Amino acid sequence: MASQDDEFTMLFQDFYPSLCRFLECLLGGRAPLAQDLAQESFLQLHRTAWGTLPPDEARFWLYRVARNLAINEFRKSNTRYRLFDRVVEAMRPAARNPEQEYETRERKELVLEMLQTLPEDQRAALLLREQEQLSYREIGQVLNISESKVKVDIFRARAALRERWSKRVKVAGASVS
Amino acid sequence: MNCRFTEKISSLIDGELSPAETREVERHLLTCAQCEEARDDFLSLRSQITSFEATLPAAVQNRALAKILSAGERKKTSAAFGLGWRWILGTGALALASLAIVAVIIGLVYFQQPEQVAVKTTAPVPAPTLAPAPAASPAPTVEPEKTEKNEKESNAPQHQPTPRRSAPVREPKPGEQFAAIPENVRPADAQTMTALHFEKAENLLRAFRNVRLNEPDSAVEVSYERQRAQQLVYQNMMLRREADAAGDVQIGSLLESLEPILLDIANLPDKPDDDSVRVIRERVERKNIVALLQVNSTALARALD
Repeated sequence: MASQDDEFTMLFQDFYPSLCRFLECLLGGRAPLAQDLAQESFLQLHRTAWGTLPPDEARFWLYRVARNLAINEFRKSNTRYRLFDRVVEAMRPAARNPEQEYETRERKELVLEMLQTLPEDQRAALLLREQEQLSYREIGQVLNISESKVKVDIFRARAALRERWSKRVKVAGASVS
Repeated sequence: MNCRFTEKISSLIDGELSPAETREVERHLLTCAQCEEARDDFLSLRSQITSFEATLPAAVQNRALAKILSAGERKKTSAAFGLGWRWILGTGALALASLAIVAVIIGLVYFQQPEQVAVKTTAPVPAPTLAPAPAASPAPTVEPEKTEKNEKESNAPQHQPTPRRSAPVREPKPGEQFAAIPENVRPADAQTMTALHFEKAENLLRAFRNVRLNEPDSAVEVSYERQRAQQLVYQNMMLRREADAAGDVQIGSLLESLEPILLDIANLPDKPDDDSVRVIRERVERKNIVALLQVNSTALARALD
C-alpha cells in the first residue's frame, strides 16, 4: 500500500501543476477553482481508479475527469466562485517584485482573454496540444472525439486566435500613432 | 489564409503529418509567403500559450496532496468504524461491529436518562387493561390501589422535569439514516437548505470558538455547542450526499471538511478538558472553515435571490 501511495505521490507531483495550468486556462483564470478541481480529479483517481488503471492511462484519465469537472462549472452560476475567488485573491500576499508581477499578470490575462474567445472544445484541444503536448490520438482519447475532429478543432482555434491577435496588434498600432 | 495548405501547416507544426506529407508541405513553404507567415504566427501563439504559468503556490500543492492521501486514510477508518456509506451495505464482521457499537451507544444513552423517564413511559401501558376490571367485578380493594397508582402517575411528571429528547449523537441503525432524516433535510430546494445549514454551522463554530477555557474551579461548558452539533451532523451528511450526487464539488468538499468537526463537537464528553476543545478549535482555524462557510452561505443566498 505504501508503494502505491508513493507512486501516486510521484504522479501527483508530476502532473498536478500541469493539471492546474490546463484548468486555469480552460476556466479563464480563477486559479483557486482550478486548484480545487485539479485536487478533486486526483481525489477521484485515488478513490476509484488508482490501482485498476494502467499507469499510462492515468494521465489521460485525469485530464478527462478534470475537463468534465470544468464543464460542470461552466454550467453552474459563476456568482459563488467569483465571490470565493475574490476573497482568496484578497488574502493572497503581495508580490515581491510588483513590476515583474504586473508584467506576468498582464501577459497571463492576455492569453486567458484570447483563449476565452474560443469555443470550449477547441480551447481544450488546443491546450492539450500546446501545453501538455499530447498527440491528436491522445487528445481524441481525452476528449472522446475522433482524431480528425481534433485536427480540425486545433486548426480552427489557431486560425481564430491568429486573426484576433492580428486585429489586436492593428488596434494597438493605431492607438499609438 | 486562403491557401489550401494552411490547415496542413497546423498539422505540420504538431508533427502529425506522414513523412511524405511533411516533405510536400515543407516544399510548399519555400514558395508560399502566406503559409510561411501562418507557420510563424502559429508558433508564436504556441510560445504564448506554453509560457503561461499556473498560479500555484507550493503550499497549495502540498496541502492538496496531504488532503487526498488523508481522505483515503479517513475512508478506510470510517469504513472500519461504520461511519461512512459502506457500513449500511457492509456484510459480516463490519455489520456486526457496527451493530455492536450502536447497541453500546444506545445503552449508554438510555443509561444516562433519569430513571423516572422509564417509569413514565412504561406506566401508562397497563392502565387500559386495568380499567375494565372494576366494571366486570367491582372489587373495592382494587380501587384504592388504582387511584393510588394513578395519583403516582399523575404526580410523577409534575415533579419530574420534562425529559430531554436530544441524545448524544449515535451511529444510526441500518436504514434509519435514510428513513428518519429526509423529512428534515430533503426540502424542495437543496440550495436553500445548504445555505441555512452553512449559516447554522458558522454560528455554531463561532460559539465554539468563544467557549471559555482555563477557568479555574470550573469545567468547560459546551453543552449548547454539543447539542447544536448533534442536530447539524445528520443534516450535514444528507446535504453532502446530495451535493456529491449533484456533482457540486465545492459544496460537497466543504461539507466533507465540516463533518468531522461537527462529529467531534457532538461527541465531546459532558465536561471536556481544555485540550479536547483546543484541538477541535485548532482544526477549525487551520481549515479556515468559518470564513469558507460565511462566503459560501452568502454566495448561495445571493445565487438564490
